Amino acid sequence: MTAVISPKKEKFIIPIGPQHPALKEPGHFEFAVDGEIVTEATVRLGYVHRGIEKGAEARNWTQNLYLVERICGICSHIHALTYALGVEVLAEVEVPPRAQAIRVLVAELERIHSHLLWFGVAAHEAGFDTLFMYSWRDRETIMDILEALTGNRVNYSANVLGGVKFDISDEQRKVILDGLDFLEKRTHHYLDVATSDGMFLQRTRGIGITRLQDAQRLGIVGPTARASGVMRDVRVDAPYAAYDMFPINIVVETAGDLEARFVVRLKELFESFRLVREILDNLPPGDLQAKRFPRRIKPGEVISRVEAPRGEVFYYIRSNGSDMPERVKVRTPTLCNMASVLSLAVGHHLADMPMLLVGIDPCFSCNDRGVSICSSQGEHGRWTWERLRQFGIDYYANKV
Amino acid sequence: MKIATMFSDIWQSLWQRPVTQKYPFERKEAPDRLRGKLHWNPENCTGCALCNKDCPANAIEVITIDKKEKRFVMRYHLDRCTYCAQCVESCRFSCIELSDKEWELASTHKQPFTVYYGNEDDLNEFMAKFTQPESEPTPQ
Repeated sequence: MTAVISPKKEKFIIPIGPQHPALKEPGHFEFAVDGEIVTEATVRLGYVHRGIEKGAEARNWTQNLYLVERICGICSHIHALTYALGVEVLAEVEVPPRAQAIRVLVAELERIHSHLLWFGVAAHEAGFDTLFMYSWRDRETIMDILEALTGNRVNYSANVLGGVKFDISDEQRKVILDGLDFLEKRTHHYLDVATSDGMFLQRTRGIGITRLQDAQRLGIVGPTARASGVMRDVRVDAPYAAYDMFPINIVVETAGDLEARFVVRLKELFESFRLVREILDNLPPGDLQAKRFPRRIKPGEVISRVEAPRGEVFYYIRSNGSDMPERVKVRTPTLCNMASVLSLAVGHHLADMPMLLVGIDPCFSCNDRGVSICSSQGEHGRWTWERLRQFGIDYYANKV
Repeated sequence: MKIATMFSDIWQSLWQRPVTQKYPFERKEAPDRLRGKLHWNPENCTGCALCNKDCPANAIEVITIDKKEKRFVMRYHLDRCTYCAQCVESCRFSCIELSDKEWELASTHKQPFTVYYGNEDDLNEFMAKFTQPESEPTPQ
């Protein structure tokens, strides 16, 4: 599709959000439209900024493990894992291979849960509520498995610094395998639905095409990028935890439209099923936790990257030698992918906006981080509360 | 290209019971590993307070009655607890465990959310010394 730019000066702007912009999370979008066609798109984020990074500076290394776990309700294990991997490098602690394998196992189970959840949400946005209900019904299987394995449906708390909390018993192994057999059968069915149902394809095929060079230029990550042919996956590019023992195959599609994103995520499910089975069959023997983990960590800094269900999660952690981190910086995949929504919106129908938004599997709570302001005069750094308040007053005074 | 690819699902579902549970009337058994209410056994406690320091929600307070005789009392705040089980990991003497049976912990009053653990003598001494009887807010 080509962009249709209105020659008229006046723009008709349709605001969507902050309450309930397609998803049940706050984010504000403004779409300038010419008839039904979107000509401009802007986004405003930050409604669920919770000050987690600042909070992390006031808690010790162990407490932070549970704080960062709460950055995202869906990929909670991934955040704890990224943090734990980074802190373990800082503390120079070797984690036993069995613990690493169990971490990967939980991460892959979580990916299955996240992708099925997204699949349901996306179907709901497409108006296909039957698919939404059935995929969420089947998702309960994986939720029950995770609850039996870790003790909770969400926020699994599987990690401790230096290892994991639990082992996998033979009974649980059987429950997991039975659950995966059922889900694999269902995923084949869903892949068939997503690629062949005529009405559903009208919402996905040829909509929101992102070309490879655009995906690279915009820095898109995760399954959204892989649907445009970008061969990038942290699990393969920089294997962490036990992904060097249990490698995965990258799932790539080249079409770049919404249908390709459905196909990539559903095919990733098969890859996760395979990996979970492989880990259960070849779980390395050994301890679950490192012998000792220091309470104070010597000064240093580390970057930790992990492939979350939505894409790359990035942590920067700095220690100053105390029992608390000096800085924890988090970047979640939704922020990287948000640019693709805005660039794709232009030229599409307004009715496609929810689908385009949901196509990146956004998680607003994850992505609302603190920002440092760089003014046009080249001024950097932090603003005081008073300065920010004055800026707001001046901004609205000038606007009128 | 097909239409109504999910028709078979709908047809099959006609002959199945709903998958949703009628929760208060039907209870699914909780898994063994479920993390519920915390229980503290004062017998082996040395008062190191690592559970206290590592608790991400400040839900645990280990209060010393007499350090030499190793008499401690625990004040546990149910409403702050995130049930992460870090205290179980931190305790080197296995004094803490999370129940897999007690998980329906909601209450309309504030009082049940503060739980005291300890030997009877220690608790009596602690209550007499440090706490005032809490007054319940009267319902409007």
